[in-house]
Amino acid sequence: MSVEWIEQVLQLTVQMGTVYLLASLGEIYAERSGVLNLGLEGTMIMGAATSFIFSLAYGHFAAIIMSIIVGALMGFILSILVVDMKLNQVIVGLALTMLGIGLSGFITFPEIRKNLLLRLNPYLPQEILATQQSEKLPEIPIPLLSDIPILGKMFFSHNILVYFSLIASLIMWFILFKTSIGLTIRSVGENPSMADSLGVNVYLVRRVTVILSGAFASLAGAYFFIGFHPFWREEVTAGRGFIALALVILATWNPLRAILGAYLFGGVETFQYRLQLFGLGAQSPYFLAMLPYIVTIITLIIISTESIKKRLGAPASLGIPYSREE
Amino acid sequence: MERIKENRIFCRKFSRREFLGVTKAAAVGGIVAAGVVGGVAGYLAGTSAAPPATVTRTVTTTQAGAEITKTITATVPAAKKLKVGYVYVGPVGDYGWSYGHDRGRRWADEKFGVNQVESTYIESVPEAEVAGAITSLVEKGCQLIITTSFGFMDPTAEAAEKYPDRYFVHISGYKSGAAGNAPNNMSAAFAEFYQLYYLNGLAAGAVTETGVVGYVGAYPIPEVVRHINAFVLGANYAYKKRTGKNIKAHVSWIFEWVAPEKARSAAIALIEEKNCDVLAFTEDTPAVLQVAEEYQKKGKKVWSFSHYSDMREYGPTAHLTGQIANWGPIYLDFYRMVATNSWQTVDIWSRIGDYMPYRWRLPAENSTAGKPEGTVYLAPLNPVIPSQWQLEIKKRYEEMKELIFEPFSVEGNLGEPIRDQAGEVRISSGERADHDMLWNMDWLVEYIEEPLPR
Repeated sequence: MSVEWIEQVLQLTVQMGTVYLLASLGEIYAERSGVLNLGLEGTMIMGAATSFIFSLAYGHFAAIIMSIIVGALMGFILSILVVDMKLNQVIVGLALTMLGIGLSGFITFPEIRKNLLLRLNPYLPQEILATQQSEKLPEIPIPLLSDIPILGKMFFSHNILVYFSLIASLIMWFILFKTSIGLTIRSVGENPSMADSLGVNVYLVRRVTVILSGAFASLAGAYFFIGFHPFWREEVTAGRGFIALALVILATWNPLRAILGAYLFGGVETFQYRLQLFGLGAQSPYFLAMLPYIVTIITLIIISTESIKKRLGAPASLGIPYSREE
Repeated sequence: MERIKENRIFCRKFSRREFLGVTKAAAVGGIVAAGVVGGVAGYLAGTSAAPPATVTRTVTTTQAGAEITKTITATVPAAKKLKVGYVYVGPVGDYGWSYGHDRGRRWADEKFGVNQVESTYIESVPEAEVAGAITSLVEKGCQLIITTSFGFMDPTAEAAEKYPDRYFVHISGYKSGAAGNAPNNMSAAFAEFYQLYYLNGLAAGAVTETGVVGYVGAYPIPEVVRHINAFVLGANYAYKKRTGKNIKAHVSWIFEWVAPEKARSAAIALIEEKNCDVLAFTEDTPAVLQVAEEYQKKGKKVWSFSHYSDMREYGPTAHLTGQIANWGPIYLDFYRMVATNSWQTVDIWSRIGDYMPYRWRLPAENSTAGKPEGTVYLAPLNPVIPSQWQLEIKKRYEEMKELIFEPFSVEGNLGEPIRDQAGEVRISSGERADHDMLWNMDWLVEYIEEPLPR
């Protein structure tokens, strides 16, 4: 086990984990304000599809911006349904996931994709219209910092979205726990009627956090496609949105703990294939794959006790639509 | 007795007027003998449950003979199109297995004549729902129903039992009338790659610098196991002949058919952990080839292959050669059987040589290796493969057209018996693998380091 080996494993772990980190960051805000966004998977896959099409048509920058917009739009739709119309969050969220899976498969179906691409940019050559892959986001190692042993490869030799995910989790942790905005969000998730009586616009807060969760989930999908493995297939995210949902619980609704959790999930995915080659895990590869879920279940059991729940600050009115008693 | 019963059904199902209408159309249209038989039988079979054999006999004896000599040029009327239904396990929009079958469907339709066949498909059918999919295709009037996943086998056999007037083809299974374990209106077919994997192995052994090759495997099932073994035997053949040393091989399993991101992780693990510099794979996307190309761009020589489709665009530098399948000729064959009412139940493993226009070996210099032909063929050879090995690959390709050379024989292993990982001789001098050994292969050859997951 040389230093290079450790560096490489950690680098790949971070690359994989960033998918989960980005998706869970927005979801943490939504759940902190009391809304469960089960449409995460569908939003993520729409983000991947959007980034696929726009990176072919206009390049990476447009792909990232457009996927954020599409994600925010899906978050907006969800917010109308569950915040304003007060529909069941589980059902609407799952419906949004199905919509996302279906719609992403539809817009990327070869013929339809071709037409879409030609509308977006009529000068695209034939091979771009037919291809299933797009250019990968370039890696931008940060000078000096990337030369630090181990940490340099782990945190400072990545593409721009990985850096963004790390900075965003720091900022989002700060906002959530150290500012009045964060306090407002948490109070809305804790006791919305109390917050309302104190003059907080519960609906507005919830709508903003749900839009935010959509944008982040979509960005996670875009990262997964153009930043990790740029080859399109239907259902490309393969359930990773649901893993991100589990991760939110594992991280106990804390953006900093989400970093650790994301890298745990990412590390397991990276390690699985290496352990096989050491003669471990090849006999039962599913064992390794289930480890993060066991940790999640244990976390769930622990936080289900009332006292710990209070201490960790699990949002008390998560999943409960708020309506003013008038 | 049987005959009378059939005729009675026939009379009840068809009014005389309807029947006369059909025969009149045939007479007026003036159809070629085969056209009459196929078209009319097709039309009738499409509209009722009457056994087509009886109908055809009636028609040919009363009508076609008289009309055949008059006009020969007319085509089958549009109403008498052959109807074919496909059931796919996955989506057709992506790059994988079902996409390959859909490409085969379009190929067969085009060759058969798009005016003469109407093919429909149902995609993304879960195994539990395949019986329903088949029924709806039957109700739609499909005479030929093709199901393209191993898990569809038993429901297809049951449907063949239930609808004796329709024809069924199941891909990648072992039940057929020919094999004796299904009704006679069911056939089994498969496009088999192990010979091509052996040729990939020769290419791998010819270019590897580290002497270590890797394989990203989907599931540890016999099909994948024999492909791995064939690949490693080929790599060992070339490498040992070059250097005198045995090849080393590593396998990483991803337990998915389509999972590019997992194949990526597994490929990187093989390259980084075990120093593999040639990677073969069983995964439906070009992920492994893309990884090899990324390494080439970084200046490390890593090679990979095409799988199912020509994937050169995903790794222009890293692409050595590969295996490509065209299911079209198999389907076209079944179309013709049903259309001409000459059905015969078969169990086909289409290999090199099958469905190719010229099924004799050519001199290696004139070999067709690397050109599209038949159902399974070799992708174009990368010029980085030394020319004497290109010739060797072409020679073997040509020999396999006549099945003179068999990878799973001592000739395929430099005259040495083929041993498994425990050192036990599996194939000794004078033997070659037969159907059952290939079909049930559950051992890995000795050059592979990881045990087979069980």
